[in-house]
Order: sequence, then structure tokens, then C-alpha cells
Amino acid sequence: MSDHSITVPIGPQHPALKEPAGFMLQVSGEKITGVSIRLGYNHRGIEKACEDRSYIQDIYLIERICGICSHSHSTAFIQAVEEIAGLQVPPRAQYIRTLVAELERLHSHLLWLGVAGHEIGFDTLLMYTWRDRESVLDLLADLTGNRVNYGINTIGGVRRDIDPAKIENILKIVDAVEERTKYYINLATEETTLIQRLSGVGALSKEDALRLGAVGPTARASGVARDVRRDDPYISYGELDFKVCTSDQCDVYGRTVVRLLELMESFSIIRQVCAKMPDGPVSVKAPRKVPAGEALSRYEAPRGEDVHYVRANGTDRPERVKVRAPTLANLQSVAKMLEDRYLADTPIIIAAIDPCFSCTDRMIVTDERSGSTRGMCWDELRRHGIEWYRARGIDTTRIKLALP
Amino acid sequence: MAQILFHIFIFPGILFLLVMSFLIEFIDRKLHARLQNRVGPPWFQPLADFIKLLGKEVVITDEADVTIFRVMPLVALTAAVTAFFYIPLWGTEAIYSFNGDLIVVLYLLTLPTLSFFLGGWYSRSVYSAIGATRALTQLFAYEVPLLLSVLASALLAGTWSLSELTRFYDAHPGWWLFNLVGFVVALIALLGKLEKVPFDIPEAETEIVAGYLTEYSGSLYAFIRLALNVEMIVGSALLAAVFFPWGLSCGPLAGFAFFILKLLVIMALITLLRSALARLRIDQMIQFCWKYVSTLAFAQVIATLIFKGVFVK
Amino acid sequence: MEEEKTVNELVGEFPFLDGAVRVPRARRIFVTVPLDRFQSVFRRLVEAKGFTYLTTITGLDTGETFTLLYHLAAENGVVCTLGTSVPRANPEIESVSRFFNGGDIYERELVDLLGIRVNGLPKGNRYPLPDDWPANQYPLRKDWRPEGAPAEPAEE
Repeated sequence: MSDHSITVPIGPQHPALKEPAGFMLQVSGEKITGVSIRLGYNHRGIEKACEDRSYIQDIYLIERICGICSHSHSTAFIQAVEEIAGLQVPPRAQYIRTLVAELERLHSHLLWLGVAGHEIGFDTLLMYTWRDRESVLDLLADLTGNRVNYGINTIGGVRRDIDPAKIENILKIVDAVEERTKYYINLATEETTLIQRLSGVGALSKEDALRLGAVGPTARASGVARDVRRDDPYISYGELDFKVCTSDQCDVYGRTVVRLLELMESFSIIRQVCAKMPDGPVSVKAPRKVPAGEALSRYEAPRGEDVHYVRANGTDRPERVKVRAPTLANLQSVAKMLEDRYLADTPIIIAAIDPCFSCTDRMIVTDERSGSTRGMCWDELRRHGIEWYRARGIDTTRIKLALP
Repeated sequence: MAQILFHIFIFPGILFLLVMSFLIEFIDRKLHARLQNRVGPPWFQPLADFIKLLGKEVVITDEADVTIFRVMPLVALTAAVTAFFYIPLWGTEAIYSFNGDLIVVLYLLTLPTLSFFLGGWYSRSVYSAIGATRALTQLFAYEVPLLLSVLASALLAGTWSLSELTRFYDAHPGWWLFNLVGFVVALIALLGKLEKVPFDIPEAETEIVAGYLTEYSGSLYAFIRLALNVEMIVGSALLAAVFFPWGLSCGPLAGFAFFILKLLVIMALITLLRSALARLRIDQMIQFCWKYVSTLAFAQVIATLIFKGVFVK
Repeated sequence: MEEEKTVNELVGEFPFLDGAVRVPRARRIFVTVPLDRFQSVFRRLVEAKGFTYLTTITGLDTGETFTLLYHLAAENGVVCTLGTSVPRANPEIESVSRFFNGGDIYERELVDLLGIRVNGLPKGNRYPLPDDWPANQYPLRKDWRPEGAPAEPAEE
């Protein structure tokens, strides 16, 4: 080509992305000269589906928008519903919600740290942080019964109470994870290859962050002190004492530091919640039908601000549910961050906003000679595999696995 | 004739290298896993992977140049295996040696990179093309320090033959310590050659899927992996022969045991480094290699020349 | 309180807003304006009232009209939801991408899911529906049902 530039597709399926999203990069040598982002590979129509389900069903549907910040979405949704229905949620329920929310932030940030390590080829960090994350997931399972989609929220409160033994266990594990986090903070400030790969990468100035509407750690690492927990307190955050962590680094390194410091803040919040946990019931009875009305709910998910808008029409089903996940707000900044960077920086820049898309299973076969493109669905792929092996004398369908 | 065939196919040729490469891969993976707090694979995992890959379908893209695509893994494997014959393993004499075999070994160790470049380039995929270009770019960065550091050791011994070099250091015990800086340089260069973290840039998974290996599958991929493993053994063996040339005159068995020990130590160093570091970017890698590693290599060469001029008359 | 101050200022500047403003709770303002006044109120909120962050845009099918809600947030935590309606027969609105560079993605959602024409929307990939999605199929309209779904959802 005359301008020596090639198009490198990062996605929809790519090892750097755990979920589909298409980044078409124009690359000249190793430099990125242009970016085109294509989203929506698995638009699941959840907003539409919510309109056909009752409020209780919607909680569980909305919880499944995201596998990591499931509590964020369900809390944001029920807050809006409770506001419309005028429910007074007991303080103990709010504290339990806060506890789960902060534990979720812990596991999400630890997950991110590992993914960031993996994106820059530092798999050891991935293995270390994910092992620590495992203990947080165990805590969540102990507390709510589930590791990922907790199902603890219900309209008017929470579904499970917490006992002193569990609180003691939480404090013990939080202490252990805090020790580990201090080690990671040490690592992030001392390990040379890590710093070399992170600092100066994916720059986003404060002006750009404001202009492009960045949220969460992405915005805070560009010096924008934007945190819904402080600006627009919800659940119990108004009664708790915490700092909003920011950094003026404006790059991926800053985003790493902000997340690490937020982990330290989360430990402190969890301790406060455990100490202040009020007595009382954990839920109030909620009506099946919600009176007509509308509410906008904001929530500081680990990735940034999560916005839910709910409009009720007096029946047991919402008229409209609108969800704005933090990734959508932050993706606007990614194109800016990728400008004039190296191809090698792409994975960590994309990962640095901690994106959250979702999954699919389709494959496209392109036949250059006939020029036709056809999809190969899962069943076809499976049949092709079986026949390929059968032609070589191996019949995989006849292999019986001895299952215990 | 029978002896030559035995050398080529059984020991220290293909069969021995095959067994060694599985063993080395196992040790590398197990150690890497333990360093990462994982359990790691059982001892037969590399063999099982190899057999599994041999049974898989080979998919070749329509645009690929089929001949080059198919032949390159074998070229790489052959070159790496051939280089092994010139390295003294259990005594002060390699199976084949002549004055200049050191250069031949270095040259043969360059061939796998070149063949991977060709294989990747002719598979006509974007990721492969970028990976192939990166492999070549990287080659220019590590090849000079590697050659210089090996040169320093050879200069001191005053020979271009690996076997003679071994004999020289055997006659002058302790002199190998003089080349330790060269060893550090060569180890870093070897990381680049073997494309291990922090220099696994040509196959950076999260950036370009698998680099030049992206389109390889089935038995072709199995042979590439084998070639990479053999390259790792031969590279480590070369370093062992050039920088740790001791203990080889105390009988074949003890000599061979020493050789394996040296190999394992070098391997463990490589694994340790790849567990403890993050991947660099290609520009950082080249800057690092030219700015620091090459300078260090030059310093070693100059120190050797002065040492030789002053003390060895 | 912050929101009271904003509301008083706003009603003072735009007298027609009297009665069209709702403050259901602290830090929440809901304003409804007619389509022809939308741009001027929007500009005022963004440029003079500190609502510098567009959190998202919600589009609703409200029968004869489509309601569009622009959720504007200020740094002090107040969110002002500015709503307007466009007729179903001719759903057309000006883009706000000149105020918010990042706002186009939310407008693309309106285009794809509700079939609203947004004038001045920068060129770009569509979102969120696939490229081979049939024309004139807008999933968020109330009269749209996925293929094979019952006309009315079954009572559970």
C-alpha cells in the first residue's frame, strides 16, 4: 500500500478482549494512525425484556447484565424502584448492601489488576491477584450464597441477614487481602518493566476526560474527582468516611495507582460498615405493583458510574428501564487514548478502562474464491469436527467417558 | 556409517533431543507454575500435547504459500538439531568440530528465527505479518550482543572452535569467571532469541494473537513447538559450553552430568526471568539492547583484549 | 439547597417552565420542555448552570410521541433530566454532539432502537444493532415484538 498502513482488527474475537467489541486499528509500522470502534456485538435486548417481566424478575435479569458488577446493576435498579414506590429501606439492609458493594469492588479491582498484568505479558501478577480475589469471592459466597450473581437484593431490602461470625470472618480475610494489596502497591511502584509499560501510555488529559464524559477510575486517574459515592450518596455511603482517590498521572499507570488506592479505601469502608452495622430488620414488605412515576438512580460501580432510569406505570411491570453501564461512557475516551500510540499498547489501553462487554459463539467462514461469506454455527462446527476425525479412523462420538 | 546414523537419530541427535525437549518443557512449565502459585502440569504433559497436536487438523489459509508454510517448521527444527552436534557435551571434544564451528552454531541458531519469519510472512495474516516483522526487528537487536559476548570468550581462548575453547578453559581453570559479564549479556540475548518474556514481543498473545504462529495448527504447530524447545536446549547448551566450560575432562559420565546441571541452571534462570517480568514493547526492547546490553558486551570484549594483551604473552 | 437554586434560576430565565419542573428528592430535577424550546434550555443548562456531563439519553415510546430524556449531571451531584417529545409521525431532533463529544453513542441508540432521526450526528459505526438488521425494525417501540414471540406476554 502507498501509505504503508495496514488495518489490524482487534476483535470482535481477540485474546486481549474477554468479550466481543471491534477495534479496527489503522497501523503504520507499530504506530496507530486511526481507530474505528464497533460495539453491540451482543446486544441482548435486556431493556426490552425488562418491560415484559415483573419487577422481581427484573432484579435477576438486571443482575445478569454484568458478571462482575452484578450487585451494582441490581442495586442501581432497586434504588430507582424503591424511590418510585416510596419504600423506606431499613438501615441494616442498606449496610449489608454497602458491604456487598465494597466486597464487589475488591474482587473487581483485583481482577482488573490481574488482567492488566496479563495484557502486558506479566502473567505472574494475574495468578497472584486472582488467588487473592478468590478469597474475596469465597467471602461473597459465604455472605450471599453465590460467587458472582449474588441475588442478595430484593425490593425493600436484602434477602439474607448477616451474623457476627460472618463479620468476624470478613474482617479476618480483609486483613489478609490488605497485606497482599500493600505488596502490590509496592510492586507497582518498584517493578521496572511494569512501570515502563504503564507510564505515559493511554494519556487522557483532564480536559479530555471531562469533555468525553469519562467516569470511574478512568476519570479519577485524569484528575477528575468524580465519585457518585461522595457526590450523590446512596445506600449507606452518606454515613461513612472515605477518600476519593485521584491521580494526576493521566495515563494507565495512574489508573493502576487509583485502583490500588481504592482497594485500600474499600478495606477501610468494609471495617466501618462492620463496626457500625445497625440492628433491625433487613427488609420491608414491598408491593407487587409499583405506582406510576419515574426515578433516576446513580451508583458508583467498580468501573465507574452506573446509571439506571426506571419509569413505572402502576402495574407490576416497568414501563421502561434504561441502563447506562460505565464502559459505554468510558469507551468514548478509548479512541482518544489510542491516538498515536503503539500497537503493543492497545491491549492495556483498552483494558485500562476495565471494559465489560459480553459473549457469543458464531464463526464466519470467508471463501476468497467465490467471494461468499457464511457463518458456521456451533452445530456445523461440531459436525465438521466429528467427520474430520471419523475420516481418520477415530469416532469421537463413540468414546464413552467414565464420569464419577 | 552406523555410528553417524546413531549420532544423528539416537544420541545426541533427534531422539535424545526429543526426550530432552519434553523434559525441558516440563521443567520450564512446572517451575513457571510453581513460581506463579499454580500446581503445574504432570511430567508427561508436553508429550501428550505433542501427540494431540499431531492428531489435529492442519488448516492452511487460502492465501498462504503452501510450500513455504509447510517446510519452514522443519527447516527450523533441522537447523536447531544440527547446531547441537558441534557443542561438546560430555568431554572436551564435540562429535564434529573444526575451527569456526562457533560461528556455524550461531548461524544455525539464527535460522529458526528466519524460517519463522518466512512461515509467518507467507501465511498472509495480519497478525502473522506483524509478528514476523517484529521477530526480524528483534533479531537485529539481540544478535549483536550475543555474538560479541561469545566473541569475548573465544578471544580469550584464541580459537573459533567450541571444542578447542573447552580444552583451553580446561587447561586454564578459573579463567571462565572472567567472562561472567558476557554470560549475563548472552543470557539476555538468549531470552530475545527464544522469545521469552520480557522479549516475547513477536508472539505477544494479547496484542497480535500469536504473532507468526497465528495460522499454524496441527502437526505443523507441533513441529514449531518442538523446534522452539530444541532451540532452547541448544541455546542453553551453547551458553554452557562457552561460559561454563569446566568439569568436562573428568570422564564422560561426570562430564555429561555437569552438562545437564549447567543446562538446568540456565533454564531455571530463563524461567525465573520470564515469571518475574512484564513484556516490553519492541521500541523499548531495541533501545534496551542497543543502549545497555551491547555496551556491556563491548566492555567485555575490550576488557578481554586488555587482559589478553597484558597477561597472556 | 443546590437543586432549589438551580430550579429558581431556571424558572426565572425561562418563565414558560413554571409548573414543568419537578424536584422529587434531593439532587434530582425533572424538567419537561416543548421541542422548539429544547435547544435553548439545553444550552443554558450546559453552558451556564454547570451541567457539564451528559450521563445518558433515555428514549421512551409514549404512544403518539417519543419522549427523550437527557440526563445531565453537575459535579455537585445534582442530576437534571431534561425531557422533550417528538411526534411519532416525524421523529426528528438535533444532535447534542456539539456540546458533548461523547454523546453520539447515546444518540445512536435512539436511532437504532427507536428509529429517531438525529440531525447532525457525526459519521460512525451504528450501535447497538448488527449491520444486517432489517430496516424499519425498532425494538424499543412498544408495537415491536421479536419474531415468534406471543403478541401479549403470558401471565405468570
